[in-house]
Amino acid sequence: MDTSQYLGIFLDEAREHIQSLSDQMMILEQEPENQDAISEIFRAAHSLKGMAGTMGYKRLQHLTHVTEDCFSDIRSGSMKVTSELMDVLFQALDAIEGYVNSIQETTDEGEDDNENVVNEINRIRSAETGKGEAPAPAKEQKAEGNASSAPAAGPSDKALYRNMKLDDSAKDVMKDAISGGKHVLGFTVFIEESCLLKAARAFLVIKALEDMGDIVATDPSTQDIEDEKFDFTFSLFTICDEDMDKAKEAMLAVSEIAEVVGEEFNESNIESIGAGNAKAAEAAAEQEAEAEKEEVRETKEETAPAVKKETAPAAKQQANTKPQAKKPVISKTIRVDIDKLDSLMNLVSELIIAKNTIVSAADSSDTSNQALNEQVEYLESVTTNLHEAVMKVRMVPIESAVQKFPRMVRDLEKKLDKKMQLTITGEETELDRTVVDEIGDPLMHLIRNSADHGLEHPDERAANGKPEMGTIFLNAFQDGNSVVIEVGDDGKGIDVEAVRNKIVERGLASEDVAAQFTDKEVIDYLFDPGFSMAKKVTDISGRGVGLDVVKSNIESLGGDVSVKTKLGEGSTWIIRLPLTLAIIQALMVIIGDEKYAISLDSITTIENIPSSDVKLVQGKEVIQLRGTVIPIVRLSELLGFDTTEQKDDMIVVIAKKGDSQAGLVVDELIGQQEIVIKSLGKYINNDRIISGATILGDGEVALIIDANALI
Amino acid sequence: MDELEKYVEDKATQYIVVNLGIEHYGIDINYIDNIVRVPAIRRVPNVQNYFKGVINLRGEVIPVMSLRVKFDMPENEFTGNTRIIIVKVDPQAAIGIIVDEVEQVMDIYDSQIEKVTGEKKEESNGYITSVGKTERGLVSILNLATVIGEKEQA
Repeated sequence: MDTSQYLGIFLDEAREHIQSLSDQMMILEQEPENQDAISEIFRAAHSLKGMAGTMGYKRLQHLTHVTEDCFSDIRSGSMKVTSELMDVLFQALDAIEGYVNSIQETTDEGEDDNENVVNEINRIRSAETGKGEAPAPAKEQKAEGNASSAPAAGPSDKALYRNMKLDDSAKDVMKDAISGGKHVLGFTVFIEESCLLKAARAFLVIKALEDMGDIVATDPSTQDIEDEKFDFTFSLFTICDEDMDKAKEAMLAVSEIAEVVGEEFNESNIESIGAGNAKAAEAAAEQEAEAEKEEVRETKEETAPAVKKETAPAAKQQANTKPQAKKPVISKTIRVDIDKLDSLMNLVSELIIAKNTIVSAADSSDTSNQALNEQVEYLESVTTNLHEAVMKVRMVPIESAVQKFPRMVRDLEKKLDKKMQLTITGEETELDRTVVDEIGDPLMHLIRNSADHGLEHPDERAANGKPEMGTIFLNAFQDGNSVVIEVGDDGKGIDVEAVRNKIVERGLASEDVAAQFTDKEVIDYLFDPGFSMAKKVTDISGRGVGLDVVKSNIESLGGDVSVKTKLGEGSTWIIRLPLTLAIIQALMVIIGDEKYAISLDSITTIENIPSSDVKLVQGKEVIQLRGTVIPIVRLSELLGFDTTEQKDDMIVVIAKKGDSQAGLVVDELIGQQEIVIKSLGKYINNDRIISGATILGDGEVALIIDANALI
Repeated sequence: MDELEKYVEDKATQYIVVNLGIEHYGIDINYIDNIVRVPAIRRVPNVQNYFKGVINLRGEVIPVMSLRVKFDMPENEFTGNTRIIIVKVDPQAAIGIIVDEVEQVMDIYDSQIEKVTGEKKEESNGYITSVGKTERGLVSILNLATVIGEKEQA
């Protein structure tokens, strides 16, 4: 069977299972007795194994099998969760991930058998339980054989329709039908396992029944049956004009139907439907279906798994474990290639440029045309909404970028021999997909940095009266039109004087100059390439390639990074990212004789200030605005215009960045406009005041001033 | 026979030959995206002096540089013959190069090309890879990567 068409689904699901394994194993390590976590791990490992088997990845299957056995022992209580065991299991998880990565890159799982991990697991297992590789658990065999053995069992075991849950209204309908002289029939249909088009077969069966009467209920739902989201069996109830035998005959006439089990119901036994106390083995399929539904709800609510899940046939897992595909129960989703969204965004950009052209044409036409103006306004609001809608489509929670960190911190804890915990809040905060893809590395760097440089060793912490367990936190939240991500720790903080000495030591500034630096200026040196404070280089950090990369990565996303620190209390790195990259609302201004755009996000107010109000403080021009002293920047000077002529009144655009403000002096205001940001390309070196360009309605190019760079 | 052999062994590359004053320069046609007349150029403040600014080329913002300034030649007024050669060394980043005039498209055979080495190479700042000897005279073949890529230290 050609499975290549399922590769994408396999990879997506495998990643979900690996993530779920990782999450739950972290929980298990903290709470070795947590049954829910064990069950969840077992389920994920089992699904993974089943999928790997179906896809023909033998090594992956073997490794997950060994891992699963291990969890099976843990669950049954014959093995204890030890630190040593968890280490090996995490190694196994890494190896599993390695296989999946290799499959993603080459569609092949590779040649590595990861024997050392397998052997290590078996060694621990045999030491703990006496079981090793050799006794392949009979339970497993049984679980896998479940589907095929089902048809061989007695008829009552196969009458799965008896376990179907029917609501009262359905039962009432059926009772009415019985009193109306019709036949109420319950069936469980078994399709041959060699069948490739089981949905089509199921459809034919249902069609045959519909010719004779009405289908009251099916399990799984008809939608799921159509989507092939079922194992080789399904159950249904029908109100039929014909009797049992005719209906059965019609169903068996469909090819590749192995068996049909059914019975006729009367008023008295209808109530027993769904209440049947079928044995666990018979109910496995049913329970699984329930568990799946439960899981969908769980993932939605992000609560810990609460339902104990039964093992189910591996083949069933393959068909059924599609949380993504199942989500439509709650909200319908589709997967879309990011390239398609990019091209959609590009088209929106072009549309907005075209719209701006029409707007300026309508403005400049002498004869004011009421109808035209109305339509132009309408067009403006439509394009703005369209842009917002497309932008929202591209937004994903930052969760995918941060979910690997708990595991990383756990590993760092062992490696660095420190005690630490990671708290994450706001992982549901949404950002543009491209930003989320890029932000993982910088965040990882900052967390490593906190773990390595920030947090002290437990004895040192105890000596300073801090809890031995250090805390690293990651908080994400939306703030206006930007998203803020704070990464910090309660460690020792940045020793500003030490950094100052290092600056002098490295000859980056003379002692006198360095002594004049403010704390902030000193700390800014940490972002310089090659500047490392680590006393010894470790493989975690200290090579001096770090913060500068963090900074440049974040700046390339249009964001900025700053740091707050207090010696002895810890430091916090604050990353601020724009919600959207391509299209912004901007204030258009004239400086000299050129048009410039300033992002509206960074503007607080616009003021008219008499020139005489400008004061000098330490040689810098400032103004006082409602009690605050704000430095002013004469943009025309900065942009190379002749500025001898002084006006009486200045137009000052007040811009903010974090807590600091600056007044940007412009010559004239044009108004607000939606602009599409275009890069100036990599060849032009400007002093970062100009962050890009945009094309105006009349085709003219205007430059975008990055107010952040001026503050 | 001789002619045929020449065709077999001697590979020809097509170049756009442009003029700066009396000098001829060749640009490998594979890098050229487009040749346009000079539109309105928007000045960008505080950049390398040879960057004249940016232009709007069918909705894309493209930086343009003056080859004259880059080569320390005196600047001149744009005339009806002045052209901007849009080149894409990196497919993601187009850049425009202002030249006095586009002369022709020319096949230059490997046998006609002489590599620039040693002293001469230094003299040209690495902007020129080789010189083609053609019936129209000497054509200096531009090394686009250095012409557009080299970032001047401010």
